[in-house]
Amino acid sequence: MSEVAAPVVEPTPPTPRAPANEAVLRLALVGNPNTGKTTLFNALTGLRQRVGNFAGVTVERVEGFFRTTSGRRVSCLDLPGSYSLSASSPDEQIALEVLLGRARDGWRPDVIVVVADAAHLERNLFLASQVIELGVPVVIALNQMDAAEAKGISIDVPELIDALGVPVVPLVAKRGQGIDALGRACEIAVTLPAPSRRFTLAPAVTEALAPMVERLEANGLTTSAAELEALRLLSIQHLEPHVAEVPGLDEARRHAAVTLGQIGIAPQRLESDSRYGWIGEVVARAVTTKEQYGRSLSDRIDGVVLHRVLGPVLFIALMAIVFQSVFTWAAPMQDAIEGLIATLGTLVGAVLPEGDLRSLVVDGIFAGVGGVLVFLPQISILFLVIGILEDSGYMARAAFLMDRVMRRVGLHGRSFIPMLSGYACAVPGIMATRVIENRQDRLATIMVVPLMSCSARLPVYTLLIGTFVPASTLPLGFGLQGLTLLGMYLLGTLAALGVAAIFKRTLLKGPVRPMILELPAYRWPSVRTLGVTVWQRAMLFVRRAGTVIMALSIVLWAMATYPRTSVDPSEPEVVQAEQQLEGSALGQVGKLIEPLVRPLGYDWKIGVSIAASFAAREVFVSTMGTIYGVGSDEENVQALGDRLRAERNPETGEPVYTTLVALGLMVFYVFALMCMSTTAITVREAGGGKLGWSWAAIQFGYMLALAYGAAWLVYTVGRALGY
Amino acid sequence: MSLSVSLPVLPTAPSVATGGPDGLLEAARPCTLSQCRPGSRATVLGLDDCGSDEACRLRALGLCEGTAVSIVDSRHAMVLDVRGTRLALGSALTAGITVQPLPAAARSARG
Ligand SMILES: Nc1nc2c(ncn2[C@@H]2O[C@H](COP(=O)(O)OP(=O)(O)OP(=O)(O)O)[C@@H](O)[C@H]2O)c(=O)[nH]1
Ligand SMILES: [Mg+2]
Repeated sequence: MSEVAAPVVEPTPPTPRAPANEAVLRLALVGNPNTGKTTLFNALTGLRQRVGNFAGVTVERVEGFFRTTSGRRVSCLDLPGSYSLSASSPDEQIALEVLLGRARDGWRPDVIVVVADAAHLERNLFLASQVIELGVPVVIALNQMDAAEAKGISIDVPELIDALGVPVVPLVAKRGQGIDALGRACEIAVTLPAPSRRFTLAPAVTEALAPMVERLEANGLTTSAAELEALRLLSIQHLEPHVAEVPGLDEARRHAAVTLGQIGIAPQRLESDSRYGWIGEVVARAVTTKEQYGRSLSDRIDGVVLHRVLGPVLFIALMAIVFQSVFTWAAPMQDAIEGLIATLGTLVGAVLPEGDLRSLVVDGIFAGVGGVLVFLPQISILFLVIGILEDSGYMARAAFLMDRVMRRVGLHGRSFIPMLSGYACAVPGIMATRVIENRQDRLATIMVVPLMSCSARLPVYTLLIGTFVPASTLPLGFGLQGLTLLGMYLLGTLAALGVAAIFKRTLLKGPVRPMILELPAYRWPSVRTLGVTVWQRAMLFVRRAGTVIMALSIVLWAMATYPRTSVDPSEPEVVQAEQQLEGSALGQVGKLIEPLVRPLGYDWKIGVSIAASFAAREVFVSTMGTIYGVGSDEENVQALGDRLRAERNPETGEPVYTTLVALGLMVFYVFALMCMSTTAITVREAGGGKLGWSWAAIQFGYMLALAYGAAWLVYTVGRALGY
Repeated sequence: MSLSVSLPVLPTAPSVATGGPDGLLEAARPCTLSQCRPGSRATVLGLDDCGSDEACRLRALGLCEGTAVSIVDSRHAMVLDVRGTRLALGSALTAGITVQPLPAAARSARG
């Protein structure tokens, strides 16, 4: 086997250099979902693509480059997982296009690496056997050897190589073991004759298939690939569009189905029967399993997690703990950052001369951008917790638990996974809907993913909750603040379910598809994966604060500062500042907006902050910071929360921000779609062009109406109740 | 929604089939997968009452005619052990799969 054959003390070649004329080796990583393709891809290329313990993490093709130990340059493609070549969901189609050489950019693999999960080899060999017959060099990457060993499974690799007729390389991609051997195997595989089918069909079957095979061959397929395609076409009942492109194929297919029926073979089960029949023999030869007594650890965990009563309770408790931790763990870190920014702002303010420049730096940048940056700890904790859910294997369980509810909605449990991803960010959430085969269901899910409260709302929620909800402790150790946050997330989630139900009964009418979902074995979340995720998201947040939010803060500062108006110098400074602010461009815009937000109980300052946050939600916080920075006579940068609490209505002297106003505002942010990236991705994923734009418009419109209506309801009912 | 409650006769069949060590095994009658109890095993006979797309998917996943599956958990949906993998299927599918319940004692060494 190749790993053994590797010389131990090979003199390391001087810096690997590829001959200038040698072509790049193109390598495609395919395999069942959740087998470790992306883990392997990251190990090979040094990139940091997202990894997680559930099916459907990767939904795009991603290219990366590396060099083999011999110096050959390799272009490597990470692809979405797929269970077979008859796949029908949009993510699986992406993998298929590449495999069948139909990719729009013409990328064709020189060698296909089938990443197989050694712990579930039998199921993984189905796709592998199909790929072997494509007629392209294949290497089997036998990944997760450690997990297989832990399950008492041992695999005889030479025997497997003999049975499959292609190189097989055992790996532990997570630890980078076997990576070099895989590179060498790929270089060797391209020099070997193309692999082909390893089992024979009964003569009567071969005869029945012959007309189909003939037509496919005439269309340019190799014999092996034509036979594969014939078997595959018989197994699927719907017609794929490219069938019509091969003359006479559809007719030959119907004819073959009839002929097979006459000899007592159901055409749709011919492929699975023959493949799994052969796979059974291969597994019997190459795999030995120690009999395990009792239930596995994973099953025992499921006994609790999927328990009828405990399961849902655990789910809610888990969420409550998440949101609790956002307040309790993050508080000290947040205070530290807040203090740091305040000190820096004051220091810089002291150095700069009094005037517009100082105001720009202190009020525009420190109060604006700084006001957003203080939420970095919260964002990091949220991503850490979501990362733990994703990498432990809980996601699929949550989907299973939700299947019953989702079915009432008109979707199936799997649609809940994109919705859960939406807690992090709606963009990957919408992308993740590619695992849903049915177009109606997929669209309905896309429409509601942005209702799941994403991390960009967290600064708004935490600012308002931290300022206006008392930090009192309730029984069981839960804090009122954490529970309020949980309430906002639940509100969004329930709304998402409700709206999806409406879409499924109106615009996107269709039957409920049944759920098919693989539950992966639980795993300890990898510290590395979590670290990478949190780091990437934290950096993204900081970069956003430093770019988009910084730019918007400067624009808004300028609007809040100019044009200068003449103020009455006899008034106290605070009043002067206030008059100045009201006379500024922002103040004038605010006065225009004010009638719109009056019914919700807001003044013009909240009105413009909301308007500005349509560019990005966090801008609400930075705009408030800037407005209250410009509008104050304070020399020091003060925490925004304290300023909000102190704000009074100039006429009545009552506080502007009551708990009711804050609650209404949060509810507004639960529902409003204020994210250009989400709209852009909705346009693309809903079909692009006019169609995509109209779905995006519907999404934006209904969410705005919902936001306004709900905020109005909260304020009106609250007032009527005397708050 | 679940059919298993409304058909009181069939669910008891698998447990009846647990014959003594030398006694004859009374073959249980075929039923739908949704009628099987957690902890029992069954061989798939047909996927005819699932939608054709779903049947194709299930076959690729290793749940094809002749496969022995164990029922790990059963409620509105089911969790099955199929060729060593854990598969969750919605009730519309489990009600469309016909199976032959297997006697509980015949646990074969499966990987
Ligand atoms: N024990 C073990 N776990 C592994 C190994 N390689 C990957 N994993 C874990 O397997 C899970 C899936 O890994 P991914 O790389 O996301 O799998 P994928 O094939 O890209 O999955 P999809 O993109 O969903 O198709 C993660 O939890 C990994 O940490 C390995 O060699 N051993
Ligand atoms: Mg992946």
